[in-house]
Amino acid sequence: MQARRACACPCFLSKLNPAERNGQMFKRLALTAVVCALLAFAGCGKAPEQEMQMANTAIEAAKTAEAEKYVPDIYQMAMDTLNAAMAARQETDSKFALFRSYGKSKEMFLRAEALAKEATDAAQAEKERVKTEVLNLLAQAREALDSANAALSKAPRGKGSKADIELIKNDFNAANLTYQEASSDYEAGKYAAAKTKLDGVIRKAQSILEEIKKAAAKKIGK
Amino acid sequence: MRLFLIITAGVIFLAAATVLFFPHPNPPLTLLENVRSALNQAQRAGASHYAEESYRTAQELMRFGWMEMARQNGRLAPFRNYRKADSLMNLSLTMANQATDDAQKRLGYLDSLTRGEQADFENDLLLWREVLDGSLIKFKAERFLSLASQLLEIGELLISEREYEEARQTIAKGRESLLLLSDMVSQYTDYDAQNISIWQSWVQQTLANSRAKEAYAVIIDKSAHKAYLVRGGKLMHTYICELGYNSSHHKLFAGDGATPEGKYKITAVKRRGSKYYKALLLDYPNRSDRNRFEESKRKGIISPHARIGGFIEIHGEGGKYKDWTEGCIAITNGEMDHLMQYVTVGTPVTIVRRSVQWP
Repeated sequence: MQARRACACPCFLSKLNPAERNGQMFKRLALTAVVCALLAFAGCGKAPEQEMQMANTAIEAAKTAEAEKYVPDIYQMAMDTLNAAMAARQETDSKFALFRSYGKSKEMFLRAEALAKEATDAAQAEKERVKTEVLNLLAQAREALDSANAALSKAPRGKGSKADIELIKNDFNAANLTYQEASSDYEAGKYAAAKTKLDGVIRKAQSILEEIKKAAAKKIGK
Repeated sequence: MRLFLIITAGVIFLAAATVLFFPHPNPPLTLLENVRSALNQAQRAGASHYAEESYRTAQELMRFGWMEMARQNGRLAPFRNYRKADSLMNLSLTMANQATDDAQKRLGYLDSLTRGEQADFENDLLLWREVLDGSLIKFKAERFLSLASQLLEIGELLISEREYEEARQTIAKGRESLLLLSDMVSQYTDYDAQNISIWQSWVQQTLANSRAKEAYAVIIDKSAHKAYLVRGGKLMHTYICELGYNSSHHKLFAGDGATPEGKYKITAVKRRGSKYYKALLLDYPNRSDRNRFEESKRKGIISPHARIGGFIEIHGEGGKYKDWTEGCIAITNGEMDHLMQYVTVGTPVTIVRRSVQWP
């Protein structure tokens, strides 16, 4: 009873002699310290700064590749994932140090980076596709104009048809001017405008060929 | 000691119970979803282009609200307060809806503005076509009208693709073409005004000669597309005639499509053998034409290899209601028969661009 009173240690140690008691206590304290340190290290995980940086860089690259314009859905998904990752990180930051775990936000940053890269690739591919499409249209329009020009130079110029041919020449010149404008638009990266203009040029070149045929038929008929 | 332990355990228990059972607010997840959906709607409405400022602000506000919500989520339940996140997201929602409205208004405005400009341009083009229809300058004007028509067509295509800025630029180019046309027409009418007295004097001389000799003469007014048969200085008959397809100027060389202007005479009457029913051959080129031709060559107005041309006739096969010849004057076969009853070799034929003699 007296020993119990003299002892300030927990009761289960009171049955041991003082030397054993000190040894046991030291061991338990050391164990507790190790567990606490482990918990602290486990809890205070390192913030995913590098992953965040990489995700942001990837988003910037997607912006530069005009992903918002060419692949808005994938770009939006990447942005949403980045925002969610930032929110997860913010949530973790707000927690007590012992309970912090950035695993979720790290994973989301990696996902956002992957999506942003996907958006960049898809935007570049889409841009390339549109560019190729316009390039093909440019070639088609050139071919149509060349055919119209060849037909114009071969068209029979006689009384009655010469005036018609001369008027068709004006249409050809106008179409040629529009073609040059479309080429400039293509060079400036204005693919949508170039495409629309080239559609108009091809249509006009075809109508010119029809007109020449009519004028030639008129001449033969004469 | 025991009491101390009991009290500590009690306090811990109470704290845990408070944390677990204290009525804490829910994060504004529904609001966040609404904001995201509003932003998507704004994006689809073209806000990222047509209402960029409000769209980007809405995006930023959503991000701030989201971060604030996350910050509160990380706190212990009793200490969470989503009021700031709520107001940020509500602001973002308002701004996103505003961006959608702004984009739609801007698009609507651009649409009506561009369509209005297109309609005005189309009207002007139609008006020009109407005004120039049947005029001598029509052939030359066609260069500008063709370009304007093509640009009108491209403008329409661009509007249908909602490429309003490009469409407006295209319309502006079309208008430039009409302005150039307007300049050309002004120059042409100025030239006409300066020379009307010369043409009028030719007409007066022809009438005076006809009067003096009580003879037949033919006067052709190119602008009016009329040929007048006169006898003794008096009008006997009017014929509607068709001219060279490019008759806004005096004939300069072979193949220019212009009908000559000057005082000529009939040199041959072809009652048969003409490709165009019957024909009256004129003495083009006369001395005056040759002088003008040589001068034009010297001045470099025409190619040094150009030929002066010839075989300008008044012939049949007219009635096409357009200027289609290489420079001859065409009337209908019936009118050709009528004219040939009165004219013969040596009958004067005066061709003027404009005359004020008869309406």
